[in-house]
Amino acid sequence: MNRLFYFYFFMALFTFVSGYSQDKFTLSGSIADSGSNETLIGASVYIKELQIATTTNQYGFYSISLPAGTYTVQVSYVSFGTIEETVELQANVRKNFGLASGTEELEEVIIDGNKPKADIRTPQMSMNRLTAAEIKKMPVVLGEVDVLKSILQLPGVTNAGEGASGFNVRGGASDQNLILLDEATIYNSSHLFGFFSVFNSDAIKDLKLYKGGIPARYGSRVASVLDIYQKEGNSKDFHMNGGIGLISSRLLAEGPIVKDRGSFLVGGRTSYAHLFLKLTDNDNSASFYDFNTKISYKLTENNNLYLSGYFGRDLFNIADNFENTYGNTLLNLRWNHLFSDKLFSNMSMIYSDYYYGLKLDFIGFNWDSGIKNYNFKYDFKHYISNNTKLDYGVNLVYYDFNPGKITPIDDESPINEDQLDKKYAFEPAFYIDAEQKLTDKLSVSYGLRYSLFYRLGSQTLNTYANNQAVAWNNDLKIYEEATPTGTVNYGNNETIADFNNLEPRAAVSYQLTDDQSVKASYNRMAQYLHLISNTASATPLDVWAPSDNFIKPQLLDQVALGYFRNFKNDAYSLEAEVYYKKVKNRIDYIDGADLIANNAIEQVVLNGRSRAYGLELLLRKNEGKFTGWISYTLSRSEQQTPGRTPEELGINNGQWYKTGYDKLHNLSVTSAYELSNKWQFGAIFTLQSGRPVTYPDGQYQYGDIIVPSYGLRNDNRLPAYHHLDVSATYVPKPEKKKGWQGEWVFSIYNLYNRQNAASITFRQNEDNANNEAVRLSIFGVIPSVTYNFKF
Amino acid sequence: MKKILYTLLACSALMLTGCEEVIDVDLGTGPKRLVVDASINWIKGTSGNEQTIKLTTTTGYYDAEIPVVSGATVVVANSAGTLYEFTEVPGTGQYVCQYFVPQINEAYTLTILYNGQTYTGSETLYDVPDITSIAQTEDGGFEGNETEIRFFFNDNAAEENYYLSRFDAEFLAIPEYDVNEDRFTNGNEMFEFVSDEDIEPQDIIDIKLYGISKQYYNYMAKLLEVAGGGGGGPFSTPPATVRGNVVNQTDEANYPLGYFRLSRVSAVSYEVQPTE
Repeated sequence: MNRLFYFYFFMALFTFVSGYSQDKFTLSGSIADSGSNETLIGASVYIKELQIATTTNQYGFYSISLPAGTYTVQVSYVSFGTIEETVELQANVRKNFGLASGTEELEEVIIDGNKPKADIRTPQMSMNRLTAAEIKKMPVVLGEVDVLKSILQLPGVTNAGEGASGFNVRGGASDQNLILLDEATIYNSSHLFGFFSVFNSDAIKDLKLYKGGIPARYGSRVASVLDIYQKEGNSKDFHMNGGIGLISSRLLAEGPIVKDRGSFLVGGRTSYAHLFLKLTDNDNSASFYDFNTKISYKLTENNNLYLSGYFGRDLFNIADNFENTYGNTLLNLRWNHLFSDKLFSNMSMIYSDYYYGLKLDFIGFNWDSGIKNYNFKYDFKHYISNNTKLDYGVNLVYYDFNPGKITPIDDESPINEDQLDKKYAFEPAFYIDAEQKLTDKLSVSYGLRYSLFYRLGSQTLNTYANNQAVAWNNDLKIYEEATPTGTVNYGNNETIADFNNLEPRAAVSYQLTDDQSVKASYNRMAQYLHLISNTASATPLDVWAPSDNFIKPQLLDQVALGYFRNFKNDAYSLEAEVYYKKVKNRIDYIDGADLIANNAIEQVVLNGRSRAYGLELLLRKNEGKFTGWISYTLSRSEQQTPGRTPEELGINNGQWYKTGYDKLHNLSVTSAYELSNKWQFGAIFTLQSGRPVTYPDGQYQYGDIIVPSYGLRNDNRLPAYHHLDVSATYVPKPEKKKGWQGEWVFSIYNLYNRQNAASITFRQNEDNANNEAVRLSIFGVIPSVTYNFKF
Repeated sequence: MKKILYTLLACSALMLTGCEEVIDVDLGTGPKRLVVDASINWIKGTSGNEQTIKLTTTTGYYDAEIPVVSGATVVVANSAGTLYEFTEVPGTGQYVCQYFVPQINEAYTLTILYNGQTYTGSETLYDVPDITSIAQTEDGGFEGNETEIRFFFNDNAAEENYYLSRFDAEFLAIPEYDVNEDRFTNGNEMFEFVSDEDIEPQDIIDIKLYGISKQYYNYMAKLLEVAGGGGGGPFSTPPATVRGNVVNQTDEANYPLGYFRLSRVSAVSYEVQPTE
């Protein structure tokens, strides 16, 4: 009741804020690439006379309210030209602008004031943005630009190492990232164990990574939001582009359905199955493929429809004995509607799923698991005045979890068919977010998200003594799976457990001078889904579990402070931030927990907590022939699961321990050098502390084998992780802007062949039974050549 | 079964040009602990009267010698209070009893007095089905190019069963263990196998199948993962010291390692056949 009161209170406040309307007129419209009609996200609209500015939203729409008059409007976008137009404003005006991209019709545009730089003005902090043009300029690794590799070069972003899927933001786990592709949730972001990302960079228009200060329109994950938008496709002319490489190839086609009204985009990628494998005579293979599609159609000036799709699969095959398939699917229908010049809306209907399948021929075992979700979103952007913007909306998600189905592959198989209990959940959320410019120097944003979570039937659940599914064996001093005392049946859509949380968000920025500002932010977020995994690196066998009576929702509180500065006329920018965050109810697993095909996960899971803090620095050089950035992060990420009673030891004796993705130091240098219009060079250097691991502190003999004994968890570290990747791009005919255009990309991953430790294992040698430490390194030096073309 | 799944997950990552190298790592040494290797094995067709319990301690990871524990008092009692004393073969850390009486489903308690501290543990003796047949194929292993020896047994559908298997052979530098449960295979014919590229015709493989408790299954599953180099792999769980069912009654913090287990055992020897 109390919460509802707060919610209404906030609503009333917002209504009040938005109450004062002035006799002003509105200039609104969309900004697009004049060559393709591709809308531009975050393009800036600047009114010279009043020195006020706004930017386009995710759909390229802008709206700005001005007193009647004649204005000079400057429109610009990163690596596009700037245009200036005079607009007579005596009534509301709808005006669409077209910007020419830097690569075309170069002579007509003045390229300045449109380079990437630190955001001084808005309260948004802890956010990094890359546009398609910037992604294209990134040094190429393994023949193609990779968006995940790009964001790994940003401060506060790491991954567990080679061979690890996913990424970690500010000491968060990889399941705490909300990854959205055209607003649909992607559950696994990696192909081939982190070698490639699932995102085809040719199809991507814009991406934003929120590490903190996360706006209220995002929820359901606690560490970060990676918000990626696909291109709509060229509605002027038909074009194709692609690349033929040693490791993978790709092809993308786009063109008009109805000229200037409708467009399509179809893209595909595939890797070659055998190239990753050692040259052996066996039939092993590892490959991936994915497809991106998008259809956009402008119904009227106020209505746009978008249909997006993605389908990707990874395939592993070991000698026909072991077949493994996994990947994401999504389908999304969106409808943009303008209620007025000031009220923009988007309605999305989204289906997405993640599938994991495994077939083991020699034991006759077939495994299918996955997660499906059905999502309805209705989001509004309300441009109340030049000083006030409101975002509000609703988001409803229905989840269908399949934790695993086991089937025998034939009659001879000893396996009995088994379906692990399917789980269902419903997660509605409502939010409202305001951004306000209070004075010339002071801007604030504040918002509230109210999220609810219902764990639904039908399901039969175990009951336990004292409602504790994990028992403490005080004789042996270990946690054990408790024996169920009985079961309870829940009918179809009957509520098994429910939760609700208010998630306030706030941010403030104070502009010290024209080119420097300080910002602060706070966000609270709730996460109701948990990735059930206790391996050191994330595996593709992603089994997600909803919160219930035993696994509580994760609750995050994060504060961040930052200093932002552009200097030398925006040629350089510096961003410095510190953050502290803590997460309640971070799950941890009892020692030796067996998660594979476990129908009673609650018996091996305890609710603990985690915390992370750090300092991030990002220094960028934004212009000139030589561009790039240096990012450095000093951070700590820890976890603790104390005993529930004084008798219990907890996990790791109840002490704080470093998470498997704690990286004390993380340095990345990314640079690009344009030697001539024919040759461009790129290099990325990465240096990180090794991943925390547990080394043995002794050995003993049992049953004629040697067993290592261990001290406290994650008390050691792997050796430092570093590698240098370089690339060179050669454009034979740079002056050619029409027809067939080609380029060669030569790249070398891990130039000096550093044998980075993915892991160090301790075991008895199979031949002489001596104890040994074995380092596993996955990628040595990998050269690659790709030919890219477009026409 | 367990080891297969974990190995496969690890394997699929390794396929990506993985490269292994033995390296030197500086390691600290933790506190010295008593290690109890108390495995009562009642092999089918024997009386099970003679049993041995081994006592050792932990030592530095790279040390060549495992220190033995001499001068301890080792006694096993059944539920009726009958005591079976184990006496040390002097200086070996091996404590032997010649008159042990094994009984299926009987609960036993182990008591060890050492250095003024008392250690105890209790377990039940579990039965095991017979090994019904053995099959040899030449297309075993993950890549299908190894000789594989597979033995079969029938699971009892009426109960939850747990199994330990052990293979000893010349081509194995250390015994190969696996644990198995009937969770997915209740009441069916089950199998265990060993495969190796070094298996030659005429090799003798000693096969043993033990009936074990669920608690011991959990213990051994963790122990094998830690021992088999699973500890620390990219897809392994964080390794931790595996605690067994023997408890130090005098000083809780000075806990021992190892386990007190009692099993009925099906044992056969198999001679590897020449291939056509």
